[in-house]
Amino acid sequence: MKPIVKRMVSISIILLLTMVSSSLVFAGGAKETKAEKKVLIAMATDIGGLGDKSFNDGSWAALEKARDELGVEIRVVESKQMTDYVPNLSGLAEDGAALVFAVGFLMADAIVESAKMNPDTYFAGIDIFLDPETAPKNAVGILFKEEESGYLAGIVAGLLTKKYANIDPRLNDKNVIGAVLGMDIPPVERYQAGYYAGAKAVNPDCEVISVVTGSFNDQAKGKEATLALAEQGADIVFQIAGLTGLGVFTGAKEANILAIGVDVDQAYLAPDTIITSAEKGITQAGFLTIKDVVEGTFEGGKNLTFGIKEKSTGISPFHNFEDKIPQEVKDALNKAIEDMKAGRIKVPQSRKEAGYMQ
Amino acid sequence: MISDIFNLAFLTGLIGATLRMATPIIFATLGEIISERSGVLNLGIEGTMLMGAMTGFLVTLITGSQWLGVFTAAIAGILLGLLMAFLAVYLGLSQHVSGLGITLFATGLSMFIYRLKVGSPTVPPTVDPFKKVVIPVLSDIPVIGSSIFSSYLLTYIAIILIPLVSLLLYKTKVGLKIRTVGANPFAADTVGVNVNLLRTLCLMTGGALMAIGGSFLTLAHQNMFLIDVVGGRGWIAIAMTIFGNWDPVKGAAGALIFGVLDGFQLRLQALGFRIPFHIFLMIPYLITIVALVSVSRKATVPASLLKPYRREEKGS
Repeated sequence: MKPIVKRMVSISIILLLTMVSSSLVFAGGAKETKAEKKVLIAMATDIGGLGDKSFNDGSWAALEKARDELGVEIRVVESKQMTDYVPNLSGLAEDGAALVFAVGFLMADAIVESAKMNPDTYFAGIDIFLDPETAPKNAVGILFKEEESGYLAGIVAGLLTKKYANIDPRLNDKNVIGAVLGMDIPPVERYQAGYYAGAKAVNPDCEVISVVTGSFNDQAKGKEATLALAEQGADIVFQIAGLTGLGVFTGAKEANILAIGVDVDQAYLAPDTIITSAEKGITQAGFLTIKDVVEGTFEGGKNLTFGIKEKSTGISPFHNFEDKIPQEVKDALNKAIEDMKAGRIKVPQSRKEAGYMQ
Repeated sequence: MISDIFNLAFLTGLIGATLRMATPIIFATLGEIISERSGVLNLGIEGTMLMGAMTGFLVTLITGSQWLGVFTAAIAGILLGLLMAFLAVYLGLSQHVSGLGITLFATGLSMFIYRLKVGSPTVPPTVDPFKKVVIPVLSDIPVIGSSIFSSYLLTYIAIILIPLVSLLLYKTKVGLKIRTVGANPFAADTVGVNVNLLRTLCLMTGGALMAIGGSFLTLAHQNMFLIDVVGGRGWIAIAMTIFGNWDPVKGAAGALIFGVLDGFQLRLQALGFRIPFHIFLMIPYLITIVALVSVSRKATVPASLLKPYRREEKGS
């Protein structure tokens, strides 16, 4: 072959490979239901994709609930990298979606950009705060009071690590609990601040240590961070780290300590290691937003905050630990829930407010 | 607090973490060094590792045998090495473009095959991971006994491979040929070495090592496959190859240093130092960059790296 021909052949092979690979990604990710001119509700995941056992899956569950109860058509596209955000969001709008969910704090800029480009489509950003001054009128930010869930998790950890350390042989005599963070973004910090405040409220001498891994997708690092915390005497580790957190559970198992899950009830991932999970009701909040769109009551240009009053934050059942957990812990949780609902406790939303280091 | 750093439990934990973090990077770095020494930069490394992680995991999930998983991962790595050879060696394409293409392709394919087989279940499937192998007697030594001599078999293999690859490159005839092909393929051709064949074999061997490094993540360090399990470790291996000046021992040392720094920064955070954590997160990367800059001034790049070999273009 002549060199020029050879080069053409090889360039086309590369292009083909790239196309094959990107279409594979799409084929792996896209899910569709039968189209019969129903209202289309769509979402674009963050990089973790479906199967993150956390907020992407929780949002998808909201769409599935809407499909079953409201008869809408649903669709999901997974983002592989940050540069996918805008094309994915706009692409779904161009597909005719009535409402597009952007899942995750990191999509904050992308949702504003896409909403401006597609003024006829509604957008909802989960974990995204929209500046009320400049927010597009067709977009809402959906926020949660993670600090409330974190506070409840802190109460559990704070009481178990010292006062009730006898309920499980894996709890040591040190008054130390830990947390593993993914990236340090506001929802994560709210969880952490609440956790710290909750633990200190029931156990003022308790030492709360934490490690930031800098990633929501690095299971190996989650495990190493957990082992490092365990070496320092932590016997309960709260994971606030998305997929990185799955490594927290394997690390906790290996170090023979206990863990607390995040976002959704994660107990099934490691039933004998996970005491409970600090939940946020993404599914509930997402469903309510879809309902607004279907019923024509959607109002954009603002942020909606969901908390314990809206049944959107809270703590999971204890499952396998149900019988071990002392009544005092359960009472303390119920009291805190009532107090938060009544506004008697103001849970800190940042490390600074909580008086936590850094 | 300072005394906490130097206590034995801290050291034991740190050494253990170092080895676990470094193992996949050592495999990948050795694989990359073999490829680059023969004159081909393989940027398919990140995708090859992911492919190895996925293949090893799925095969183990189906057959229940971790070693069969590692073996199949190596085969997958060899195939991707072969594809790289086809693009970069036989077609003489830009090595950068082919390598990145392979990483994109292998990433998509890994996700696709995994989804095809496993779907997106609420509980991710897990395998029984490799057990740590405790070496009798040696494991009774304080500190290093319960860290170094209680590691995964793949970690021991990685450590043993370091001198072996070094011997291969510097003390054997094949090694001499590999280095010649990477430095001066025309000279090698003149004395009857099949340049393209040897480069292909090096890419296949390198691919196997990268894939085995990937499979360590899903079969030993962890027990499940996640899309982003490799998380840039392939790119670290590329940096370590340069850092090590294309020498297996120095490259692997770089991987270990990276492991130490990463394990160390996690522990410093856990100790509760009142310093912004961003600084800790930066430490491994920052020191790698500083080391790269200082080392690369004296670096001796394989002279024909990035240059496809075509006999007819000799002298041009």
